[in-house]
Amino acid sequence: MQAIKQTSPYIRKPVSTKRMMTDVLIALIPVVAFAIYRFGSDAIVRIVLSLVTMIGLEALSFGMTHKPDKADKWFDRLKSRYKDYSINNVLTPAISAIIFAMIIPSKLHPYAVVMGAAFGIVVGKMLFGGLGANIFNPAAVGRIFIALALGDMFSGTYTGIDLAAGSTALGTIREGGQLFPDALNSYSILELFMGNVPGAMGEISALAILIGAVYLLIRRSADYRVMLSAASTFIILILLAGIKLHPDYILEYTLYHLFAGGLMFGVVFMITDPVTSPVTRPGRWLYGLMVGTLVVLIRLFGAYPEGVAFALLFANMFVPLIDYPKWSTNKIKPAFIIGYITLIVVFGLVVYFGVGGAA
Amino acid sequence: MIQKTKYIPDGKQALKELPILHYLDAQYVYYPVTSARCPEGETCVRGGQFVKVGEIVGTRKGAFFEQPMHATVSGEVVGYEKHIDQSGKLVDCLIVKNDKKYTLHPSIVDRSDVEIERLTKEEYIQIVKDAGLVGLGGSAFPTYIKLETKDPIEVVIANGVECEPNLISDYGVMMNHPKEVIQGLIYTMKASGAKRGIIAIKKKYKEIEERMNFALKEFSGYNIEVVKVGNYYPQGWELAMIKNALGITIPQGELLSKYGVLNFNVSTLQSVYAAVKKRLPVLERLFTISGDGIFNSSFRARIGTLVTDLVELAGGYKDETKPKVMILGGPMMGTNILRDDVVMTHTTTSLIVLNEQVEKEEACVHCASCVYSCPVQIQPVQIMNAYKVRDKDALKMLEVNKCIECGLCSYVCPSKIHLTEYMRSGKRFAGK
Repeated sequence: MQAIKQTSPYIRKPVSTKRMMTDVLIALIPVVAFAIYRFGSDAIVRIVLSLVTMIGLEALSFGMTHKPDKADKWFDRLKSRYKDYSINNVLTPAISAIIFAMIIPSKLHPYAVVMGAAFGIVVGKMLFGGLGANIFNPAAVGRIFIALALGDMFSGTYTGIDLAAGSTALGTIREGGQLFPDALNSYSILELFMGNVPGAMGEISALAILIGAVYLLIRRSADYRVMLSAASTFIILILLAGIKLHPDYILEYTLYHLFAGGLMFGVVFMITDPVTSPVTRPGRWLYGLMVGTLVVLIRLFGAYPEGVAFALLFANMFVPLIDYPKWSTNKIKPAFIIGYITLIVVFGLVVYFGVGGAA
Repeated sequence: MIQKTKYIPDGKQALKELPILHYLDAQYVYYPVTSARCPEGETCVRGGQFVKVGEIVGTRKGAFFEQPMHATVSGEVVGYEKHIDQSGKLVDCLIVKNDKKYTLHPSIVDRSDVEIERLTKEEYIQIVKDAGLVGLGGSAFPTYIKLETKDPIEVVIANGVECEPNLISDYGVMMNHPKEVIQGLIYTMKASGAKRGIIAIKKKYKEIEERMNFALKEFSGYNIEVVKVGNYYPQGWELAMIKNALGITIPQGELLSKYGVLNFNVSTLQSVYAAVKKRLPVLERLFTISGDGIFNSSFRARIGTLVTDLVELAGGYKDETKPKVMILGGPMMGTNILRDDVVMTHTTTSLIVLNEQVEKEEACVHCASCVYSCPVQIQPVQIMNAYKVRDKDALKMLEVNKCIECGLCSYVCPSKIHLTEYMRSGKRFAGK
């Protein structure tokens, strides 16, 4: 009998990264199905393009970043580069690719889709060291890249725009096709919830996203803390803005902001990405607060009607700071609770006075 | 998955149903001259000398204490041989040839209740010291040093949680000898001056609770109660157990006695009973053989028995062709051994043989399951990253020394990263 040398513990929990990644893909099914139902072949083409680009380039970069063994045949050398290549190197870019496809409009030119996906996976992920080492969400990096570099390609890409409104739901109340209470005539809360509005492919249906969220939470493949923290911060701050801006439509205003745009999708599928999140309980609460606040600030005061991807990248930059060993701790201490509430109050005041609260 | 993991499938039910075989047929028994806590030792018997059960055959010397070794069989001293002890190290062992008569040494006579009644604190400590009693939960820390404390003690806890999977030795003791445990608890309460006694058990052990409460009826003059604590791992860790049983949070690194608490394993208390009442040292322990790579079996065997004998008696290994992992102790914190010629010592209660499962390590995805699950609230993933770049300052800031090596971080990791090993390396590196 052969005795094997090991160190304790000798047993492992039957969980795997593969399962976690597969769960995210499963949770994305309702969103993808809705996008295909709504946009048909447009959606399929963009999802496939994005998948091929991301998985292909991840595989290519993976080979380039791993040294080959010495071998006579070139094929053996090539094969040796891929000996650590696992199912996770397919599943994770697949998740990024689908998320990326879900946050772009259905009529976006395929060139922009490929460029965004390529930039996201190569610069956003593989250059940082691949799986587990990236500090920015690859899908968000790709989305921001094409928004900045190929901005012109976005005009007129959102289908199903209401003629009176002339823009997406958030664009309408932002750039003033219509101002807020009137915009409800073009896009009712129910339509926003169901997804019968123009917008990025996966972001429009709050219902499909919620189904995915429930699955993720039941399977514990996403952390509820970031979701809850980001969503509640967002709701509190938007509520405060609504109190000042539209005292008669506070609830409608809050729900409008919640269901329109990419917030729901971002909160469920993008900020829950564990790789780019902090690793402690307080850290994750803080991270969610940061994203929620930034989305509100960008929507109300920024140059863009929408800013989940921006907010996410901005918060990603703060993750190493949150996780800095000197103060990072997994205990929820009273100081943290006080600090967290103080931050919400401060940002609440910023928002309230920012929209003209004192006047 | 991204959550605090507290429950580990423990596989105890099947083991509890196994009959306990009393094994007394060992041809030779072995007594390690040194142990993990006592790097030096000497014997005081000569080859050919006849020893009896309970006779002192030597002394092990630790940093600040000495520990007598007792013969657990009667027979002839035949020499020395090297065998593996409980810590997995090869040590010199004294060999006694068993005559299987188990003649008791003349000094082994029962104390009468009147005598016990008159014992003072100092005498209790002396008895415990002479019997060479150590923490039988696994620490092997000398029991008398705990009792010697100058701090006022309010409560003595009998720790019967035994939270590691596959271990049923304490369970067996509580089930079969509840009175001896309670008596031992009473003696330690007398020795330490504590007014209150607590027997901490797992919530799910209804049968133990009933048995203990029934046995306690005879001792109604004492303030002893059974307290149920959680079923989870590592509930048996004394600080976690005390927190749940008493509601006192004791910081790591502090002595329990400063908080008026003393904590003993139930098996230790049983051995205190034997030492006080019968003047006996620890003679036998329950030994369980479990795991999917071997025929499972449960024994009561003398200290000094070779585990090889027990393995043979149990029926040997299953599927000899498959590589196996052998563990002394529990599957979470036990010691890995490469040979089965292990000598049973005071703290050996389990041999686990598992068929090897190769786990491929994947990249860390920062899911933080390890951080959430850590019972001492440190951050294994960050410690791993700090150790990888050999950042001593970060390791200290992350308090790597708090780690109790319970193994939960490795256990929960979905990427199968061996975090516990990084914790150990990190500790060593930070301490350099």
